[in-house]
Amino acid sequence: MNMNRLVRLRRFSQILCLVLFVYILWSTTYPLSGLLPPETFFKINPLVMVMTALSGRVGLVGLSAALVLVFLTLVFGRFFCGWVCPLGTMLDVTARLVRRDRWRRSLRTGRMRFIKFGVLFFVFVAALAGIQAAWVLDPMVIMARFVSLNLIPAATRTLDGAFVFAMTTLGLREVLIDAYRWLRESFLGIQVPFFAHAVVILLFFALILSSVALAPRFWCRCVCPLGALYALAAKAAWMRRLVDICKHCTLCIPRCRMGAIREDMTYDKGECILCMDCVYDCPQHGTRFGIIARLPERRTESGPGISRRNFLFLLALPLATLGRRVFAGTPARAGVIRPPGALDEEVFLDRCVRCGNCMKVCITNGLQPLMFEEGLEGLWTPRLVPEIGYCEYQCTLCGQVCPTGAIPRLGVEEKKRTRLGLAVVDRSLCISWAHGQECLVCEEHCPVAEKAIKVTERRTPSGAVVGAPVVDPELCVGCGICQNKCPARPDRAIRVQPLSA
Amino acid sequence: MEHIPSFFHRRVTRRDFLRLLGALAVTLPAWSLAGRHAHAGQTNARRKKGIKGDHDLVVAEGADPYATTVRAVEALGGMGRFVRKGATVVVKPNIGWDRAPEQAGNTHPEVVAALVDLCRTAGAGRVNVFDVTCNDARRCYDTSGIREAAEAHGASVYLASDWDVVKARFAYESPMEGWPIVRDAVACDTFINVPVLKHHGLTRLTIAMKNLMGVCTGSRGTIHQGIGRKLVDLTDFISPELIVVDATRVLLRNGPQGGNLADVEHRDTVLASTDPVLAETFACSLVDVDPDELPNLVEAKARGLGRPDLAGADILRLKA
Repeated sequence: MNMNRLVRLRRFSQILCLVLFVYILWSTTYPLSGLLPPETFFKINPLVMVMTALSGRVGLVGLSAALVLVFLTLVFGRFFCGWVCPLGTMLDVTARLVRRDRWRRSLRTGRMRFIKFGVLFFVFVAALAGIQAAWVLDPMVIMARFVSLNLIPAATRTLDGAFVFAMTTLGLREVLIDAYRWLRESFLGIQVPFFAHAVVILLFFALILSSVALAPRFWCRCVCPLGALYALAAKAAWMRRLVDICKHCTLCIPRCRMGAIREDMTYDKGECILCMDCVYDCPQHGTRFGIIARLPERRTESGPGISRRNFLFLLALPLATLGRRVFAGTPARAGVIRPPGALDEEVFLDRCVRCGNCMKVCITNGLQPLMFEEGLEGLWTPRLVPEIGYCEYQCTLCGQVCPTGAIPRLGVEEKKRTRLGLAVVDRSLCISWAHGQECLVCEEHCPVAEKAIKVTERRTPSGAVVGAPVVDPELCVGCGICQNKCPARPDRAIRVQPLSA
Repeated sequence: MEHIPSFFHRRVTRRDFLRLLGALAVTLPAWSLAGRHAHAGQTNARRKKGIKGDHDLVVAEGADPYATTVRAVEALGGMGRFVRKGATVVVKPNIGWDRAPEQAGNTHPEVVAALVDLCRTAGAGRVNVFDVTCNDARRCYDTSGIREAAEAHGASVYLASDWDVVKARFAYESPMEGWPIVRDAVACDTFINVPVLKHHGLTRLTIAMKNLMGVCTGSRGTIHQGIGRKLVDLTDFISPELIVVDATRVLLRNGPQGGNLADVEHRDTVLASTDPVLAETFACSLVDVDPDELPNLVEAKARGLGRPDLAGADILRLKA
């Protein structure tokens, strides 16, 4: 059956992009030898790029790539949503699993589709006011966080666990060990990553997927701000749906996953994601997509029809947020250790899109997602947790994969001078200071060539002399390897304090 | 309902259920036994083979680390003495740090390459190269140059896994009793310890015995409390057949990882011996350190793990 060629082409494109998306994140690991740059899908994302640039008043590398996508949308319409967006593909797959019957009635979203324009407007006004809110509902970010912090850890854990089970309990070590070692260094990565409260990220993702219960692509119809941005551009698109023969059987209306076809058989170009279903749903074979000189539209749609009151309300919200920052004086506190070279806390919070790339790539797994430790604004931003993993002295990976420059790209020598915090010895816990035993594990691991941890001779009550650690604040960069390797338990006797603490 | 495969709605009879219970009753204990066996501790069966070299210690000097290493081992009696045909050999260098060869934090890659070559020439079936590193293992293997050098000469270079261990068992009471040791370090025919001589804050110098911490997994920081005793027990447990000390360039200060080339000096020397005490004592003399400053060397001498007197030993010095 060659009939649904375009649908099959669209599905192929969707799967290809989803596979590519996962592949890129999977290869976002040492030594970054993937075929595509780790931030590819963010660089082509106009919402994240434009809004971040706008809120930070900076030009961002990748802005031009994002604008190319907008230009393509001006030609083809919302093709990105239907053919590229990996979250859209996940929603389609979920809808297919949950809603087996394509005829099942969906929620009539009607004017609810304007919600997404409200979201976009809010993000835009917030950006004008200097606050980057695009990350909250950006589909690329949501998908990346799910893949990096849920999917890949779960997949590697399962694979690793299966191999270890087969080799230990089933006694297949001799057979499998070489394959396992090869896998670990190529496909699996060396360690199975762990992320604190990743389950919250999973629940957020599951909530979005569950929206297919209301309508397939409910998210894309009503919520997605990137979809809203593309919808605005798509209204001017050259390519359009053309209906040559129509007997008003209205079969296409309920089957349109975007609810874009109206009762009068016209359609909303801003809502159409070019899934091509209606081409083949039409019993007359009278529907096609093409570029044609302007047709008389029977009804024109005038953008997001919001009232003056709504406009003022939307305007007020981000300004109020800004006002809180300016007048209530939100402390630029960073009570946590930020990645190396991270911008000043207040700028960092606006620049970071919470995509999780830095946490995915972190070679020691030390970068972890925050919950509300830094307030609401700090949600899912990265922090270094030295107990889990320290900042590897000569590693610059997190800066290399950050799509917005919230963590700058540092050269190795620059990175080695970059301070993350300051190590402090707790003499009441230290094995040498408190217990008079030899240790100096912290001094051994200190990566600074001149040693930021110095040894001082200490006479124990029994008269013996042991070396005990003292931190030189001039030299310490706060990488946290001392805290990571300190054998004192349960609390480490040397801990890195954040810079501003 | 007709879409559902039949085994989902097949009725489970009482007989089926009892059969399942019976199967579980047989397989589960078997699995658990197998698992326990896999995690059982073991003493080192390879210990005390008592292979001796032609000399107690060979000190080879030369600017080329590869050639110097080859000369040192050949003068000791050749690799054929330590490696039989088809043997599984462990070459255990120090790959502990994310440092380049010239920074002298790790064993020189050419020293490792030479030993791998000698093992292969002697007919080794498999040469394993690994270390439980301090920095990230991938970075250490790459930056040290050891992965590339050893693989190019036919060794299997891999990352150690903390599940793939055996627990150390001792015939005497030991603070290292039950410590997890990388399985391959014990399950091999020949163990060649290839440390680099360098400064260390706690043990003054780190040489052969300290290098063996790299076969230990677990919370290794606690080995530092009472380190002399623990390193000697560990050395006794692993009992390397051959010790090759890389003193081609020596990190004299700010060890054990260094980073500053001003702290590195050339000695252009490779030591080969079967005696850890003699090798370490001689290595101390290369950098003018009193051997009694090394807690593990003091303990090893007291325990009679090797001969500490340089004067009475048969030491061959040669230039490569």
